[in-house]
Amino acid sequence: MRNRLDSLQVVVTATILILAAAPAVAQGQAYKAPRTADGHPNLNGIWQAMNTANWDIRPHAASMGPVSALGAEFSTPGGLGVIDGDDLPYLPAAAAKQKDNYANRLKLDPEVKCYLPGVPRATYMPYPFQIVQSSKTIMFVYEYAGGVRTVDMEKVTKAPADSWMGWSVGKWDGDTLVVDVTSLNDQTWFDRAGNYHSDALHVVERYTPRSPDTLMYEATVDDPKTFSRPWKITMPLYRHVEKNAQLLEYKCPEFAEEVLYGPLRKKPNNN
Amino acid sequence: MNRRCVLVIVLAAVIVSLAPGPASAQALAAAKATGTWAPPRTAEGVPDLQGIWANATSIPLERPKELGAKEFYTDEEAAARQKKSDEQAEEAVGGRQTQPGTVADVHYDLAQYGLARFQSKAAASKRTSLIVGPDGQIPTLLPDAQKRQTERAAANRGHQWDGPENRGLSERCILWPNEGPPMMPVGYNGNLEIVQGEGYVAIMQEMIHDVRVIPTDGRPHVSPRIREWMGDSRGHWEGNTLVVDTTNFTDRTAFRGSSEKLRVTERFTRTADDTLTYQFTVEDPTTWAKSWSAEIPIAKTAGPIYEYACQEGNYGMANILSGARATERKAAEEAAAKKSSN
Amino acid sequence: MRGTRWMTIAAATLVLSVAPLRAHHAFAQEFDEKKPLKLHGTVTKWELINPHSWIHMDVKDADGKVVNWMIEGGSPNNLFRYGFTKESLPPGTEIIVEGYQAKDGSPRAVGKNLTFTDGRRLFLSGNGSGPGEPEK
Repeated sequence: MRNRLDSLQVVVTATILILAAAPAVAQGQAYKAPRTADGHPNLNGIWQAMNTANWDIRPHAASMGPVSALGAEFSTPGGLGVIDGDDLPYLPAAAAKQKDNYANRLKLDPEVKCYLPGVPRATYMPYPFQIVQSSKTIMFVYEYAGGVRTVDMEKVTKAPADSWMGWSVGKWDGDTLVVDVTSLNDQTWFDRAGNYHSDALHVVERYTPRSPDTLMYEATVDDPKTFSRPWKITMPLYRHVEKNAQLLEYKCPEFAEEVLYGPLRKKPNNN
Repeated sequence: MNRRCVLVIVLAAVIVSLAPGPASAQALAAAKATGTWAPPRTAEGVPDLQGIWANATSIPLERPKELGAKEFYTDEEAAARQKKSDEQAEEAVGGRQTQPGTVADVHYDLAQYGLARFQSKAAASKRTSLIVGPDGQIPTLLPDAQKRQTERAAANRGHQWDGPENRGLSERCILWPNEGPPMMPVGYNGNLEIVQGEGYVAIMQEMIHDVRVIPTDGRPHVSPRIREWMGDSRGHWEGNTLVVDTTNFTDRTAFRGSSEKLRVTERFTRTADDTLTYQFTVEDPTTWAKSWSAEIPIAKTAGPIYEYACQEGNYGMANILSGARATERKAAEEAAAKKSSN
Repeated sequence: MRGTRWMTIAAATLVLSVAPLRAHHAFAQEFDEKKPLKLHGTVTKWELINPHSWIHMDVKDADGKVVNWMIEGGSPNNLFRYGFTKESLPPGTEIIVEGYQAKDGSPRAVGKNLTFTDGRRLFLSGNGSGPGEPEK
């Protein structure tokens, strides 16, 4: 009898201690981020995704990369997937095109040519990005290929033409930054596995502070020319907390010159 | 000579010896923004430089030699210069300056696209040159720097069309002169956007969409092992002026023939609601015997900045190389035909 | 300083920096000054990209065969600032292009003069104001 009471006491005490130590995320209470001087949730900082979505946003096992000479160094690591579901809801013709993309990814992936990654791929490239936040404009600066997006927080405007990084308009929904991205061209991919889209792509992003050093990122992808319904990408974004963290240049055009122009050289390199 | 006299002389000597270059420093001091206009402040309490700005200008970098030490035009002279400029613009309209069938005529008409110089607006200035001071010229290159430049040119001679590495940084979509630092005026699309977040000033250039995210928290520069095309920038506030110090350049950035020892100091002061006064000092002891400085008025412009995805749209590089190969093939065929007919 | 007087700049005597205006000798490697041409055709696509925009157009050659040409133009960024959009030159529009053909003989040209069939210039007229005026 006595042992049972002791055990119960231990369990109760432990539970109370655990609950007391838990962050304010428990009990349905959302984390409330510190504010910038003008009263909005402070998203300033250097952030990075920590997953293998850039290889393949779907659940996938490790597999051979497209360049055998690079062996294990450039093989594809596994990933649990960042999409809502096991696969993407491609329309039949689009599903076939994705398979073709995958088979020819070395030739077709825009990342090989140092092309801008578009949205949402820029978010989960395996390199940091920085949010520079003012009241009227929030700037997203991506290390890879010097990509940049300016999010207009004041007015809703329309793009005159399509672009690689799209046209971003933002607003606050409680503590969440909601960014509506339109006018994306059809040239980017979602990952290195050939998952792609048309120029009808429309992305709505949600950046929600989750803790002092993490954000929850959610992107709803809508493209009726390619998919039978909208679908979502979800992942945490982690703050770079090391002292003096900063983005470095990643100007990759010169790394893609042989791929793009090799055959046009006066003396083509022997590969 | 009494003691005070000696002290003054010593102090003067110390000040002179510390100055980067007497003409340069004095000229900058004279050029420094005066007046009592107080810029608005951001929510963080620092001067607000935010907005979209254009650095187009028709003022030449170096002063026309005949003007000597004259740094400023009078109002009448400035108006006359403007009138002459406008008259020349009329002639340039529609590309009537170039003769059909000449190499000079092989170009799209800039004015049709709104890209002609006369279609850019700029902040007014009565300067005779962007370079400040009585000299108004870039200092001559030191012998080693001259040698470096000559060797580089010689290595490329006869090879300018061999491959992408033989082309300039602009054609390769790596770096454009308007980006710097220092940020030089350019023929069109000379637009930049400044956004300030906590502890940072971000400066985005339209071409080629590069952003310098400049920390103002006093941290040191990155390791000297890290060399970057646009260098590594650090900022701090001096009164209403943002002072930006940039080092860690690559040796291929080569601004005006400089080496990786290049150091650029920029000063951004908002001197009116619609004007940024942008000053820069350039130093490289392996390239120039003294530093040199310039001032460019930057004017507020209506946005937005549009995407300039250079690498992605660079048909030009493939076309140039293909054209060069075609020229070589043609020359080879003509040579072979000549040979066989002899 | 109370304010800033705006000043228009002319094609100046001293050109400060000509980086975006590609050095003429580079253009001369792409296009042949000895191969001037005049094309009359219909727009199939308008690529509003940088560093140069491209108009794709179907042109009937002497044998009646349709060839798709690519015409090089300027950066569209200032056109956007003048209010032009991707809808401003829809596919099917008939245009006339005077320019120079690519050195490698492919159906590509730099478009020097672009007009509609009524003579009005595409995009801006020479003095930079609004939609094109017929050449005088």
